Amino acid sequence: METSFAITGKGYVLVASDTTAARSIVKMKTDEDKIKVISPHLLMAYSGEPGDTIQFAEYVERNLRLFHIRNNYALRPSAAASWIRRSLAQSLRSRKPYSVNLMLGGFDVTTDTPHLYWVDYLGTMTEVPFGAHGYGAYFGLSLLDRYHNPEATLEEGIETLKRCINEVSKRLVVSPEKYKVKVVDKDGTREIEL
Amino acid sequence: MNSLTNRFSTTGPLSELKRAQALVENEEFSDSAWGSEAGFGSLAKGVPNFTVPSVPDPSAFLRLHTDDHADPNCRIKIQHGTTTLAFRFQGGVIVAVDSRATAGSYVASGTVKKVIEINPYLLGTMAGGAADCQYWETYLGIHCRLHELRNHERISVSAASKYLSNLVYSYKGMGLSMGTMICGWDKTGPAVFYVDSDGTRLKGDLFSVGSGSTFAYGVLDQGYRWDLTDEEAQELGRRSIYCCRTPRCLLWLTLEDGWKFIGNYDISKLHYDGPGETPGAGYGYDVRIERSTAAPVAVQA
Amino acid sequence: MSRRYDSRTTIFSPEGRLYQIEYAMEAISHAGTVLGVLAKDGVVLAAEKKVTGKLLDLSGAKEGGYGGSGEKIFLLNSNVIGGVAGLTADANSLINFARSAAQQHLLQYNEDIPVELLAQRLCDMKQGYTQYGGLRPFGVSLLYAGYDSHYQFQLYHSDPSGNYSGWKATCIGANNGTAQSLLKQEYKDDIEVKAAISLVLKTMSKTMDSTTLGSEKLEFAVITLDPETKLPKAKIYRPDEIDKLLEAEGLAKKEDDNAMRT
Repeated sequence: METSFAITGKGYVLVASDTTAARSIVKMKTDEDKIKVISPHLLMAYSGEPGDTIQFAEYVERNLRLFHIRNNYALRPSAAASWIRRSLAQSLRSRKPYSVNLMLGGFDVTTDTPHLYWVDYLGTMTEVPFGAHGYGAYFGLSLLDRYHNPEATLEEGIETLKRCINEVSKRLVVSPEKYKVKVVDKDGTREIEL
Repeated sequence: MNSLTNRFSTTGPLSELKRAQALVENEEFSDSAWGSEAGFGSLAKGVPNFTVPSVPDPSAFLRLHTDDHADPNCRIKIQHGTTTLAFRFQGGVIVAVDSRATAGSYVASGTVKKVIEINPYLLGTMAGGAADCQYWETYLGIHCRLHELRNHERISVSAASKYLSNLVYSYKGMGLSMGTMICGWDKTGPAVFYVDSDGTRLKGDLFSVGSGSTFAYGVLDQGYRWDLTDEEAQELGRRSIYCCRTPRCLLWLTLEDGWKFIGNYDISKLHYDGPGETPGAGYGYDVRIERSTAAPVAVQA
Repeated sequence: MSRRYDSRTTIFSPEGRLYQIEYAMEAISHAGTVLGVLAKDGVVLAAEKKVTGKLLDLSGAKEGGYGGSGEKIFLLNSNVIGGVAGLTADANSLINFARSAAQQHLLQYNEDIPVELLAQRLCDMKQGYTQYGGLRPFGVSLLYAGYDSHYQFQLYHSDPSGNYSGWKATCIGANNGTAQSLLKQEYKDDIEVKAAISLVLKTMSKTMDSTTLGSEKLEFAVITLDPETKLPKAKIYRPDEIDKLLEAEGLAKKEDDNAMRT
């Protein structure tokens, strides 16, 4: 079952998402990347209705890119998140809404601060120190409430993330086997091997 | 199958049987959508469960009334659904599909191919709505040709599949039912993309679509390697389709200079004799067991 | 014959010029001067008022509102002030547009509009009037003084053709050539707001027609960062504040002038 986690730390945001693409009871693919780099300092993990996820993620990616080309600077995470939330809220009231849940992790280079936004398909957005979507949220959120530290170093953050992933593997009936993890900090985004 | 067996769960087998047979005949209209639900058939509705018929020996009863191998005129034909598969390997892409040559309203002419030859370099498989697949993949063929004319080069498999997925996505929620693999060879080498009517598009090495896909995966996953030889790959394709109990199996191989049709195999022949001419070399479980118990004797002798 | 190429905005002359646009710019060079100076920690804007007189009711500028008489200097958004030169009625329409654009940005991105983006929005509109038929271009040039987190303090100028450019110090309206050469001599790259205020007032006093400065002829505004909140703080001076400032700078009217006025 689709699961994504994200946590903030000292100067970074870690975003993790499972890599399974499932149709009914079948895993069609186990190495699908569901975290998009949507601007130099912004990551977006997406999950939800098949088809909608990719289409919406690409729509966001293209629009932020267009903004970047037009204005020579990328939107700050908070501005990008607001725009994305607005897009989802507008879509919700259209004939065919996008059913997509998001975790947006970004680093604001103008203030040197990491930001994490939790967004659901209804257009709810909230800035959080840590967040999760999917079945993993039922296990991960309580764990993060207990163990998350916003001042943690990257190594400590990765350890906390591993705790979440291990807990889900231990308790969830159909738990994802693999996760992709990306980090965003002052240097931009990169992938991390757990 | 589920609804079918349900009908036998009440008493009065004979009258129930008549009613059921009439219903089955009516249901044959739905064969135009093989399994439907983007080719996943009953799987899409959750895990299947069965109600057992109230006869002394249900399996014997069903075998008697449903075995169209033994008796082509038997009134109950089991909806096996569709199995299509495609995989990438060192020598290209193998595309194998079943062919329900005697299925539903289609006649045994072999005209119902579940592979659509989009152009000499691209193949598309068909699961879900036959008409949907046929129409939109032919339409895709038109646009692939236009791409060639406009850009003086062949469209990549990635671009072709993206075109299809964007297209079906624009019809999302309007009843399209397709589960397809777009296979071909472009500058990047052999490529397979899974595209369905949800708008999903996945790049991968190995896919199987249709209600028989779970069975096909069972054989396919175990036997799959990148460095399969052409012969091994074809054999894997045949065996994977065989396991889905279909009357015939059709096989294609995509190469750098376009696809080529490998063959149309009779499954009962595959069952007993395999693809070659050696009697007793078949894929069938009983055939295989017989062979393995006979073999040691032969060695001893 | 000369009427053939300047009666419509959208027709090029054989030399490849758009006369109506050039006339619009000409109109601006007779308008009240607006002067802007970019400093390290803020931007200063000053403007010469043309509509003056004893009987003019300025109670709105003296108390209430956000300051300013509503002729030359306007608050476009909490982080941008605009100074206009040209047809005041045209300017009002542009200012309304700018304020809407800024609010639209706030609605969409939940942040104050970046200064350059606001200038671009207005220029996109102004450019349209150089191309689509039957319409007169806006006879207005603007100075935008603002702050955003991407480029910190900025000063932009836009003209009726839809061109815009960023400046360290610039001037539009009457005598802009004189003012600009003065600014070129006096401007230093690491200038601070305090010095910029002096520079602006000094330059204004030299370029304006009247020999002495007073609040009835001058509008004045400064945008700085609030030391506590670190957010941009736009201040448009009220008449009494302007007089106080002029006095502090030693540029106030002589006593006998004041006596005459009262």
